Parts: sequence; structure tokens; C-alpha cells
Amino acid sequence: MGTVESLLLGFSVALQPDVLWYAFLGCLVGTVVGVLPGIGPLSGISILLPATFGLDTTKSVVMLAGIYYGSQYGGSTTAILMRIPGEASSVMTCIDGYAMAQKGRAGAALCIAAVGSWVAGTFGVLMLTLIAPPLAAFALRFGPPEYTALLVLGLIFLAYMSSTSLPRTLLMACLGLLLGTIGIDSMTGHFRYSFDIAELGDGIGIVPVAVGLFGLGEILATPSANVVRDVIAPKLAQLLPNIEEWREAAMPIARGSILGFLVGLTPGSAHIISSFLSYGVERRLAKHPEEFGKGAVAGVAGPESANNAASTGAFVPMLALGLPTGPITAVLLAALMIHGVPPGPTLVNEHPDVFWGFVASMYVGNLMLLALNLPLVGVFVNVLRIPYAYLYPLVIMFCIIGVYEVNHSIVDVWIMLIMGIAGYLLRKFGLDPAPLVLGLVISPTLEMSLRQSLIMSNGNWTIFFQRGIALALLALCFALLALAALSLRRGRKDWRSRLAEAEAGDCSVE
Amino acid sequence: MIRADHAAGGALAALGLLVLALSGDLPIGTLSFPGAGMMPKLLASLLVVFGLLLAVRARESAPLADVSWQDLPHAMRVAAVTGVAIAFYQTLGFVVTMGLLLFVLIFGVERRHPVSAAAFSAGVVALTYVLFNIALKTPLEPGLLGF
Repeated sequence: MGTVESLLLGFSVALQPDVLWYAFLGCLVGTVVGVLPGIGPLSGISILLPATFGLDTTKSVVMLAGIYYGSQYGGSTTAILMRIPGEASSVMTCIDGYAMAQKGRAGAALCIAAVGSWVAGTFGVLMLTLIAPPLAAFALRFGPPEYTALLVLGLIFLAYMSSTSLPRTLLMACLGLLLGTIGIDSMTGHFRYSFDIAELGDGIGIVPVAVGLFGLGEILATPSANVVRDVIAPKLAQLLPNIEEWREAAMPIARGSILGFLVGLTPGSAHIISSFLSYGVERRLAKHPEEFGKGAVAGVAGPESANNAASTGAFVPMLALGLPTGPITAVLLAALMIHGVPPGPTLVNEHPDVFWGFVASMYVGNLMLLALNLPLVGVFVNVLRIPYAYLYPLVIMFCIIGVYEVNHSIVDVWIMLIMGIAGYLLRKFGLDPAPLVLGLVISPTLEMSLRQSLIMSNGNWTIFFQRGIALALLALCFALLALAALSLRRGRKDWRSRLAEAEAGDCSVE
Repeated sequence: MIRADHAAGGALAALGLLVLALSGDLPIGTLSFPGAGMMPKLLASLLVVFGLLLAVRARESAPLADVSWQDLPHAMRVAAVTGVAIAFYQTLGFVVTMGLLLFVLIFGVERRHPVSAAAFSAGVVALTYVLFNIALKTPLEPGLLGF
């Protein structure tokens, strides 16, 4: 079946009224999650995961993915109207977006952000349609050594791209991989670190760890007294940008879409990194770089397009290789597995309705988001008026329900609380919890493929260097490590150090 | 001067050593047939190495005394209330436990007006119950009281 026929099959699934409804629900929740600072898409997806158990796989994944890319749209609202990034990926938008709002161009900034997000999201899905199936077909050649090398590359790429230092990221990834070894060893049946707790026999779930680290951990680190909100109400009559603003936005949207998609393919916080890179590129290419920070249209159009394209790009390795590039795609993979659909190269051929239905729903979802985000911006702004003292207890309640309902296990909820406290402490010491979640997700596959590789080679480690694909992937690992070591030795600030400084300074970045 | 990375690196290296100590009975196996202990011991060793590396390069981090703990009392109160709610969740069920959790956090921790806290808690719990049990057909924990 060709791409066009497959896409038509996808649209026949995605345009069914019930699938449309769940796509809409996901986009709506995603926008609200994006609008509200402190509640990320990961918490939103994890909390709603149990509510998808009664649905079929396509509807579940369509809704959960809608939350992810919907949150990228919603994040720009708080950035532009309040100078608070609803999502980390909207940090750059708040610089020029808020400056535009102060000049009375809040409506235009919101419109450019929404249209840029739509163009980039649609471009991302188009590329996903073209790239994912051939990549999946190629990945069918992968055996255990290739998977081992690919997963190691994923971790090293994550560490290299991370804005914190390489040892910090690898340290967190190791901790995640170690947590992933808890439970019964699938090859020998040994119990590992389960301390006679029956529930730990199945290992530690992704959902309690992710919700604890990112949901509860964020709440514990945010005292309610520090949350002060000053909302600029947009004048909806001035929602449409003028011709000059459209002209200034066109090329940054195009460049942001391409850049964001390419960055989105790589492991790490791609949607965050892409918006920083796009802002830097636009400032460098601008005829009047001095306008950046004072309400430059390109400073809104570029980063907003880039973070949306990146969130779509992240679905390529997830769907084609079964490789999560971050904690959000990891939870989406978990959702597929809960529904009995193994992610990876076989997904396209064995579950074409799920794969193509999901892809087609993203075309529709992006259109829904455009329709939702512009006329209803006033409604979403009202959500911001809920005092944080009332909001965070609500989030804690949903965290508890969300985690408990996955397995009806109270042990999982305790794990969430422990991870929440751990997340609070990790933040205090500047350690990023994202590599920990990624390590936890890939740990069983990495261990299994490593041991299978050694068994099939009769204990010969050189098997990883005797097979072309594995050798190429490992060569890339060494190259990245060498680059990281070089920059460490030189002691010079490269783009990653500057990114870390910018992230730490949030909106004060100039 | 003790720095933040001395503490973080040291604590994680100690965790790695603890895992190694707990892994005594897990067989490493051979290269041609790795045992259940191979991966955990390898990872625990890497945890020790990276933890020590972090501690060695700690001069790049802030002094430990500069780490702000002003939010700790609030975080501890929230964590304690959450812990109590988890402990009673299966016994008391969703409606009672979550109603009390919301009320205690809003009134007890955040010092908001008791009437608005009670109204908000009751309204949210009722709406969530209807959403999950009726609209989404995902029954929430009933508890001893049966709802």
C-alpha cells in the first residue's frame, strides 16, 4: 500500500466522529495544560492515561498525543500575556511576545504564534508521513546488537544535547537504568531489589516515576506565595496582524518549522532546544537585531513554530523505531503497550489503522487547535485567574488518581510520592530528571538486547563492531563523546552552556 | 568549602555503593551467558563513577550553603498531607479522601477561607466523580463506605 492510500486509510479512521471527539478533547486539555504554568503535558498525559483504558488504541493515542502538541500551542498564551512560560519551550516567546503585548499587539502576537504553530505542526506531520514508514522498514534489519547500539546512542545524544553537563545527564540516565532493573529478571527469573514487595516484581512503572518527578516534584518546588499573576487581557478586535507583521513572520515560521522538525528527531528536550536555536537563528539573520527583546515579530514566530515542529518530529523515532526521545514520548509508548500494541518498526505493517489513523488525526488536530486557540483565547485566559492555592491541590488529586488507576496499586502511588520528593531534591541540586525517566523506559530493552547480543556471539564483545549498522551507531557515540570532551578540555562556553544559562534565567534572557 | 555537587555527587555515589552491597546474591554470570546481576552491578558501578566525577568537578557548582531551602517547610507540609491521603485512599475511598485532601491543603496549608475551601473541595470531588464514574466509565476507588 502506497503512502497516499495509507493516508486515506488513516483519514477514514481519524474522521470518524468518535475519533474526532477524542482528538478535540486531547487538543482542548492540551491547550489548558499549556496555558497553566506548573502543569506540563507529561502530567496531563499521565493523569488522563487511566481514562483511556476503556477506549481502543487509536482513540487513546490520538487523545494523548493531542495533549502533547496542544500544550505547545497553549504555552504561548501565558508567555505572551503574562511573561510566564506556560511550557519550558515557550521561554523564548515570552521575551518578544510580552513586549508586543505591552505595545498593544497582544492579539497579533497570539495570532502569529497560533498560525506559526499550525504551519509548523502541519509541516511536521507531513514529514512524519514521508519519513516514518521507510525508517521503520529500515529498522526491521535491526537485531539485538543494533538495538543495543541505538539505545546507547540515544542516551549519549541526550547527554550531549542536554543543557546541563554530560556527567550530570549520564548520572541521571544511570539512575533511571538502575531503577529499570528492579523486578523479576525476564531471562533467569531472579527477583532483583523487590524487598518482598509483590508489586515490585513487575518493576517500577513509568507513570508513577514520571508523574512524581514532573508533576508532584514541580508542585513541591513551587511555594504558592511566590505565584503572582498579572494578566494582560488581549483586545480580540486587534487579533489579526497587519500586512507588515505577516511579512516579518513568514520566513521565521518557515525556518522554525524546518529547524524544529530536525531537532525534534533527536533525543532530549528537543521542543525546548529548538525554540532557543530558532530564536538565536532569527536574531542572527535579522536586519534589525536590536529590535529583539523589544517586540520583534520574528522572536515570536520562529520559536513558536520550532517548538511545535519539534514536538511532531519526536513522533518519528517513537513510531518508527519504538525509541522514546523524551519522557513524554516514553509515556505515549507506555500507553501503546498498555493497549497491547508493541511500538517499533512492526507498528506500520501490523497496526496500519493505529499508525495512519494517528498520523491523519494530527492533521485534523492541528486545524482544531488553530480554531480553538484564536477565538477562545479569552476563555483560556480566564483559566489563569484560578489562584494557585486552589490549583495545585487539584493537580495533586489528579496525580494520585492517575497513578492509582493504571494498576489499582497503592504501591505505585507511594512510589509517586517518593519520586516527587526526589524530584524536589534533584531540582535543588540542578539535576535534570528527564534522563532518569528515559533511562527507566529503555532499561529493559537495553538489558535484553545487550544480553541477547552477548549470547548470540558466545560472549564476544566485538559483535558490536562486526555489524555495519551497529558499528556506525557506535562510531557516532564516540564522536559525540569526543566532541563533549573537547569542549570540556577547552573550558569554553559552547551553545549548550549558553542554553543552560538562558534556561536558568528564563525570560530575562536577552 | 562544601559545594552543592559535593553533596549531590557524594549521595549518588553512596547510593551506587548501597546497590552494589544489596546485589551480593545476584549472579553476574559469564560473558556468553550474562546473569541477572550483570546489568545492575554495571550500572551501580557507573553511578559511583559519575557521582564521584560530579563531586570532583564540584568547583563549578554553587556553595552548599547557597542552596535555598526557604520552600522546604511548605514542601514538607504538602508531602505530609499527600502521604496521609495515600495511606487512607483504599480504606476511605476517593470521595472522602480527596475531599479531605483538598480541604486540608486549601484551608490548612494555604490558609484560605474555610467556606470557600469546603465548597471548592466538594464541587471538584463531585465533578471528578461524575466525570470518571459516569462519563468515562472508569470507576474510582469506592472504599469502605461504598462510594
